[in-house]
Amino acid sequence: MATGTAIVRVPKEAQKGQVIRVQMVITHPMTPPRRDPQTGQETPGHYLTKLQLFYNDQLVSEMSMGGGVSANPFIALPLRVESSGVIKTAYEDNKGGKWEKTAEITVK
Amino acid sequence: MQTLQHKNLLGGIYIDRRKFLLLGAVAVAGLTFAPAIKPAFAVSKLEEEVKKRLGVELSAIKETAEIKLTVPTIAESGANVPITVEADIPVEKVERLWIFVDKNPTPWIADVKFTPHNGQVFLSTRIKMGETSNVRAILQLKDGTFVMATEEVKVTAGGCG
Repeated sequence: MATGTAIVRVPKEAQKGQVIRVQMVITHPMTPPRRDPQTGQETPGHYLTKLQLFYNDQLVSEMSMGGGVSANPFIALPLRVESSGVIKTAYEDNKGGKWEKTAEITVK
Repeated sequence: MQTLQHKNLLGGIYIDRRKFLLLGAVAVAGLTFAPAIKPAFAVSKLEEEVKKRLGVELSAIKETAEIKLTVPTIAESGANVPITVEADIPVEKVERLWIFVDKNPTPWIADVKFTPHNGQVFLSTRIKMGETSNVRAILQLKDGTFVMATEEVKVTAGGCG
């Protein structure tokens, strides 16, 4: 899969007021910035810097990260659902890449 | 004879006993404060990072049983260490969650801002670890205080390559 694609998993249905887990796996190399001990040459790395979780276009959570998160990061965050709607994650990396992915949920 | 020695010592400047003692005191004071000028020797990378990002000393943060940090006792590969943080503290009181690994080249891993819409304080992810070390989950509360949970993970093969 190409860098930046993601799978977002949420339950199809939930009760009103229930706290669900939004699980996602993002395809990304997550190479940390490093300096070669012999040559002193620095490589900037390629990693995700920010991830935002939206529920019906309202910002719920914001996560900042660096090269310390594993390659192809798996992230699970909680969300209290009140009505049916769209769950969106938007994320960006240090090389200017920006992506988003949505998932829908039905609340009874 | 003594004066002559002082002359040699201080590059030809004449100095009496009183001044000599004063100079000695200054030198001792200088040595005492040297670690404050070069914190790399006295303060660990983790403490520096915590101070920089959180604005408080690591030693001022209290351990709490209200945060449940789940990590493997032994990780086969440091490239992929699953961690789960759960807290009994209501999400309304929580500002942010920070994840640190003591001995990583960059101890800061990630931080998450929570809002009441989250409904709960929870984070599950996978992190990299260079060597056997402590993993810390620090919660920044709305009232400005910090609490943390610490767990050790033994790493058989480092994952920062």
